[in-house]
Amino acid sequence: MTEGLTHDEWTAALRDGRLLGATCRDCGATVGAPTAACPHCGARSLELVDLPTRGAVYTETTIEVPPAGVEERGYQVAVVDLGDARVTGRLDDEAVAIGDDVVLAGFLEDDQGNPAPRFEAV
Amino acid sequence: MARAAVVGAGMTTFGVHDTPLQELFAAAALEALDDAGVETTDVEALYFGNAMGGQAENDTHLGPTAASHVGLAGIPVQRYEDACATSANAFKNAVQAVDAGIHDVVLVGGVERCTPETGKDTAAMTRIFASAAHRQYEQPAGLTFPGVFALLTKRHMHEYGTTEEQLAHVAVKNHGNGALNPRAHFGRETSVEAVLDGPVVADPFRLMDCCPFSDGASAVVVVADDLADSHDAPVDVAGVGHATGVVPIADKATPHVTKPARDAAAAAYEQAGAGADAMDFAEVHDCFTGAEVLASEALGLVEDGQGGVAAADGRTARDGDVPINPSGGLKAKGHPIGATGTAQIVELAEHLRGEAGERQIADAERAVAHNLGGDAATTVVSVMEARP
Repeated sequence: MTEGLTHDEWTAALRDGRLLGATCRDCGATVGAPTAACPHCGARSLELVDLPTRGAVYTETTIEVPPAGVEERGYQVAVVDLGDARVTGRLDDEAVAIGDDVVLAGFLEDDQGNPAPRFEAV
Repeated sequence: MARAAVVGAGMTTFGVHDTPLQELFAAAALEALDDAGVETTDVEALYFGNAMGGQAENDTHLGPTAASHVGLAGIPVQRYEDACATSANAFKNAVQAVDAGIHDVVLVGGVERCTPETGKDTAAMTRIFASAAHRQYEQPAGLTFPGVFALLTKRHMHEYGTTEEQLAHVAVKNHGNGALNPRAHFGRETSVEAVLDGPVVADPFRLMDCCPFSDGASAVVVVADDLADSHDAPVDVAGVGHATGVVPIADKATPHVTKPARDAAAAAYEQAGAGADAMDFAEVHDCFTGAEVLASEALGLVEDGQGGVAAADGRTARDGDVPINPSGGLKAKGHPIGATGTAQIVELAEHLRGEAGERQIADAERAVAHNLGGDAATTVVSVMEARP
């Protein structure tokens, strides 16, 4: 049986207002994206963890030229540092800067139904 | 002893081509074979790069199509896809095969069309490029490739104080170099003011911080070390490093250090027995101005945090102490995805042969090429030397 965190589990949690991550029992690293093994040390022994839903913006950009399938422009995408792990998502508020505190505020979906976290300024 | 040698090089102009992929590839491939003085019957294998022909043009299984078009049907052909590092990976595998004695003479090259000649407009092509970001954990947020490198660059700006004006200097330098390159997509100079006055694509990048969508092809002939001297003007492949990093960006320990570039450079330098200080110039993957800053540091050409300063101070100009992208780089020369890696090898070969014309780096004897794919999660670094 495969241990680790699957997209289905991560997605179900996100739709439920939670961010699932995985902590490596060998090296202790925590990651925020589903994986079958630790991307840092290769170990397959992972423990699923609930990540904090509040953190600080690690980096961000405002995208003015969107890909086909995204109808808006001028939206902000950020990597949010939740402490042990980081997660990529959309920022709901305008002009959030690196270091600003944000909190999980739901999700958006792409045209194939894949959800991405939304964060808003605290 | 060199791992292998490049004995022939060819490439099309980078720009807009209303030409089928196999014809575009043939223009570069036949030029490379002619330059090497190699007949098609001498070629033992083709290492072929094309990243997105399936998405952009509904054109896949291109290896045998391209081989047939240049008279190479019958030999083994392998096609590579590693986003923007596509043909550098083809080159690495070709060098390894020759170095291992599996083949003596091989052709390596890549081709891509990214302009509206494909029938895809900016939004459609932006989506195709974004397919190199993580499908489930990055694309749904609306991340684009300017956005990917904006995330890396803004953290670098936060850590080191790198400025938008310093980024603009990278664009100005590369446009200046591109103006001297007859095969460059953009053949005119620009100014810091013009760059900073452009529309934002993904902040901090404005239009002129971004490489263009380009069409084009490039190819080189790689032969075994002991065959090199039977050709005119061989250039030695002293080292090739290839490394990958964690995907997605959020799970990378420190995204802006581009660890795969550091790992690949360390391997290439070790094979070559020469470090960053011994490189007379570099061709690096400046898909965005910030990417050149990150690459210049990852290759050890400048100290960490000094990439932007070095560009603004002229250190990376052709007459600076660490010349970067004398070709004009992806920024000005253009970036037909699958052709970019071997186009860097073409540029290195021309300088090391002393045949780069107006943009020649004087007395260049050793140089490094850095080609990345995706968010730098694939990086190939190659060191080449003039044959003594």
